[in-house]
Amino acid sequence: MAILLSRRSNLLAVVVLLLCQLFLYATVSSSGSVLKQGGGEEFSEELLLKPFPDRKVLAHFHFQSRAPHSSSHGRHHHLFPKAIAQLVKKFRVKEMELSFTQGRWRYEQWGGFDPLSSNNAKPPGVELWAVFDVPQSLVDVYWRNLTHTLSGLFCASINFLESSTTYSAPELTFKPSFGNLRYGTLPREAVCTENLTPWLKLLPCRDKAGLSALMDRPSIYRGFYHSQRLRLTSSESGSDEVDSGIGLDQTLTVVLQPSSWRTGKTYSVETNIQPSWSISSIFGRNIPGKCVIAKSSNVYLQLDNGLVGELKNLERENAKYVANTFESEGFQSNHAFKISVTPDKVFEEVDNLHGKSTSVIYGFSVEKYSDSQPFDLGLTWKIPVVWSCQQAPLHASRFLMGSGNERGAIAISLEPTESSEGLPTSHIIDGRCELRVDIFQVVPWYIKVYFHTLQVFVDKQPRAMADVVDKIRVSPSKDKVSPGVMEMILKLPCGSKSAAFSLEFDKGFLHIDEYPPDANQGFDIPSALISFPSFNARMNFSEDEFLNNSPILSKFQHALQRHHHYMHSICIVFWIIAQCASEAC
Amino acid sequence: MSEISPEVPDNRQDAPSHVDPNSTRITKPGVKRLVLTLSVLFSLVLGFPFLWKSVEIYRSSLPFGEISEMESNPSLSFPCRFQAVFINFNSNPSPNHLQLSILDKITELTSNSSQCGACANDLALSVTVDSISSCTQTHPTDNSNYYRCGAISAVDFDFSNDDDDGVDELLESVLGVKNVYSVVVVNGGGEGIRAVVGKYRHAWIVGSVEEEEEESVLVSRVAEIFVKMFVNGGTENGLIHGEFMPVGADRRIVLSFNLLNAEPNDWVYDWDFQRVDETLLAPIIKVLGPIANISVESQVLYHTPKSSFSYWDEKWKSYIFSTKDLPFFVNSNEWHLDTSIAAGGRSKILQFVVYVPSAKECPLSLLLPTGEISKTNGFISPMWGGVVVWNPPGCLNSETNHPSRHTMSREDLQAVFEVFMGQFRQLFGLKSNNLYIGASGTYHLLPSGKGFTEWELDVLSRQFACFNLHSCATTLGSLSRLVQSLPRMIIMDEIGKLVQFSLEAAKLAQSNASLGDNESSAGQARSLAEDAFFHPSIMSISYYSFEHCFAIYSPFFLPVSMHVLLAALREWKRYKQEKAKYTAWKAKVKVES
Repeated sequence: MAILLSRRSNLLAVVVLLLCQLFLYATVSSSGSVLKQGGGEEFSEELLLKPFPDRKVLAHFHFQSRAPHSSSHGRHHHLFPKAIAQLVKKFRVKEMELSFTQGRWRYEQWGGFDPLSSNNAKPPGVELWAVFDVPQSLVDVYWRNLTHTLSGLFCASINFLESSTTYSAPELTFKPSFGNLRYGTLPREAVCTENLTPWLKLLPCRDKAGLSALMDRPSIYRGFYHSQRLRLTSSESGSDEVDSGIGLDQTLTVVLQPSSWRTGKTYSVETNIQPSWSISSIFGRNIPGKCVIAKSSNVYLQLDNGLVGELKNLERENAKYVANTFESEGFQSNHAFKISVTPDKVFEEVDNLHGKSTSVIYGFSVEKYSDSQPFDLGLTWKIPVVWSCQQAPLHASRFLMGSGNERGAIAISLEPTESSEGLPTSHIIDGRCELRVDIFQVVPWYIKVYFHTLQVFVDKQPRAMADVVDKIRVSPSKDKVSPGVMEMILKLPCGSKSAAFSLEFDKGFLHIDEYPPDANQGFDIPSALISFPSFNARMNFSEDEFLNNSPILSKFQHALQRHHHYMHSICIVFWIIAQCASEAC
Repeated sequence: MSEISPEVPDNRQDAPSHVDPNSTRITKPGVKRLVLTLSVLFSLVLGFPFLWKSVEIYRSSLPFGEISEMESNPSLSFPCRFQAVFINFNSNPSPNHLQLSILDKITELTSNSSQCGACANDLALSVTVDSISSCTQTHPTDNSNYYRCGAISAVDFDFSNDDDDGVDELLESVLGVKNVYSVVVVNGGGEGIRAVVGKYRHAWIVGSVEEEEEESVLVSRVAEIFVKMFVNGGTENGLIHGEFMPVGADRRIVLSFNLLNAEPNDWVYDWDFQRVDETLLAPIIKVLGPIANISVESQVLYHTPKSSFSYWDEKWKSYIFSTKDLPFFVNSNEWHLDTSIAAGGRSKILQFVVYVPSAKECPLSLLLPTGEISKTNGFISPMWGGVVVWNPPGCLNSETNHPSRHTMSREDLQAVFEVFMGQFRQLFGLKSNNLYIGASGTYHLLPSGKGFTEWELDVLSRQFACFNLHSCATTLGSLSRLVQSLPRMIIMDEIGKLVQFSLEAAKLAQSNASLGDNESSAGQARSLAEDAFFHPSIMSISYYSFEHCFAIYSPFFLPVSMHVLLAALREWKRYKQEKAKYTAWKAKVKVES
């Protein structure tokens, strides 16, 4: 089944690829007929592993359930979780995404431009957005009911998003919407196993079998980043034959530190040798075969383009000494690293936007493994490799300015990343080279932002707002009613070295019962969202039937989502002004 | 320190050098300072009742008396209309005599049960003796609904053969009247007495009656059918199980059917539930429409082992779990049956579970305490639902290591759902078999194709009204106990209103029931009572304690009142001291003069 894609034998590869396509098509269609019994409902599971430059490993689980649209829609279920189907039906949810995140995605080290990071990096705490298929006047009611239901379903305080002070309705920057989108975050929400267990309950095999059996709680929560996500899309029948029905994508993204580095003998000598790891060393468990009900069950190992480029450089250097090149063996065993299991498939990115190096993905099917012969993928490094992940076009940071407990300012600064000198020249409109950047910021009402104080600096020079801001939508906060929302579409001139924005604010007075528990920690301002709509974070693979059946890879390929980048929440400290608590006082 | 004391100018004015200012005083001490401090203290004390009044918590007054009255007797009494028709009686017993003896029997049977739903107060019985020669009838006040003479003789039916369904349909065409329960007693046919309860609101007894004693047997049987069947619904131990009525306050039931594959690595079973829903469940849901609004949903779950153990028994050639294991059979950790989101707030969910055992414990059978294997291989848990263990066909000899997918065959599904139907009836407190053994003989119950017979539905609807009223009374009772036990709990006006409305609805239900209407007032009373009990304002600050109040006000008033009190005390002391000095000096002057 293994296909070795190599540049030398392109012709051979194409032939093998074709054969393989046929074979795969046959297996898929035969399994499809079996699955017809399940009312057309499907489930597939995948796991992507990826080494990071900073000696950590990313594990990205993706579980996909699909239910076709039928007359018994939302009543009789075979694979698809009943709770979710009922939720979609009851609250007329068109699209919804809920994420629970602990830790921060390190955009500099872990990348900020590939589809994986731009789709799966989420702000700390809980983020929920939903699009409803109801008239605009009813959206708020449905949102409130939805938050309560989700709160019960996931054992989290999502019901705090019910209050109109916590959610907003972005129109310009977040997603194209027609007033039926609501967005809310709880930056302070702690995420732990009590949220994971109900999430696992939505999987047909839970964590009893299949890839999810890897989710050993202590290993998962020991990581540096943990994001558990649930994304729903539903469409009425008739619009599109393929997509009609409900789709549920559940992903769990964890960044873990392989433990082998501690025992490594080269600890002090070669600090930059990557730690060798295997699935069992990271998670403390093996994969005991696939979930029986799953249509497909695959594990992928991705080497990103920076790493592949670096390996190729090393290869070229070593070419004179070592006869066998890694290209002929398709990377899997070469002078730099060794993969313990022979991959079933190798995907190479065909053409990147930057055109230089391309990333490689090894695919492993878990179907043939069982309890007695578990699947355990290992990666052993032989030589030290240093590389860096692909960066977002701009590095964004947000901070607080000012001192004292009365007023301050929020500043957002954008700087080009090291990879690109100056702003990347992507869009040339009317002879002017411009970069479009969208900023979406929600501020709680007790941070009273004065929007008229918005100042713009480009290359450290103050600029008139009209020069840089293409569109702006501001909805000022109302005390104890609604938060302040600012959406901006910026057109930054190419080649600028920096851009910064600042907004002044006053801190409002709070009633004693408006303070959160542990108020001395301060208040978190929700994460701001920066997106670069003119950049598409996607990867191109040679057309393959297999790709369309793989949720992760097809996401990589077809995701034409905007490139999202979260700025992490910042914390503001308030003095507690004690006021009388009870109306009886 | 610009203290202006009254004695200073006095001392300055005429301070005789021989007078010691520490022990004697020659002027009258002034009262200005004392009056000032006392007036401040006095106004503070005067203000205290105002403060006390203003921090008083609001308590809407609840009608505790009415609630406890309601709680002590939450009963409904429905009117009962009975008729007994005696056909082909040669000896021509007098209908008045029969009526009296049946009524005696009925009162004898109902005397020991005074529960809700009984018809002790409003009972009417009509007896007709219809023979070829003559027809005599006793009439209660209204005669329009009762049996017309000769109607059964006219159709000329042979009751002695075994075509029960035919008889049932025939009697329905003759007697079919709502609200009246009939028993037809036919003299003739074979030996012995055979009693059958039909699908509608009537029963018949066929037997040859020659002697007086046999007539009294018939009378007691007629009375028993009226009381035990038509009023009590054939339940063994008396009347309604008040707490076991699986219908939500909003009259909704969600039937959640679950197919549990204990170990999908052995085999995976699926079902075509859509068809079951349409063919088997839809008629039942329609029939139960007047009592409850039923919706159905289903799911298939995997990796759901049971949590009790089973052992291999060579005698039965199967794995055995006994009735002792039943409390542990339902594995609430692994069986995530879920409460339904589709079900609104107060709907009742009944779970029905088909358990497909794993290869390690297949076939799995339930051993009854009698030492036999259960035929249905299932059990119920009141107010929760039912479980049926379904052993996949040929699970003993299958040696497949490869997991395979199957669909339950139609016959298997049919069998399982017949068991579920019985369980569903049991959950409502009805009998699941078609034989009732009473004190004076056995009765055959004709099963209805729709799951519930009409007289059973009548019983259920009365039972539901009783259940609602009972639950309303207990909810209000616990609310009133809670409120009385926490004297400083805030009670909003809305709660008071809800309680009042709930009581009114309950009273309305009681008066409507005696008019024969067992409709929704009781349900309304129940949901209003629950609204009051679960009102958010009760949840938020349930107990605004005195300590809490003190903690809030003491920082404001303690420092101020302390100073005022101390100042007043000091002034009082000083005044007394000065007064003593002055009187002493005065006395001295008097003595000297």
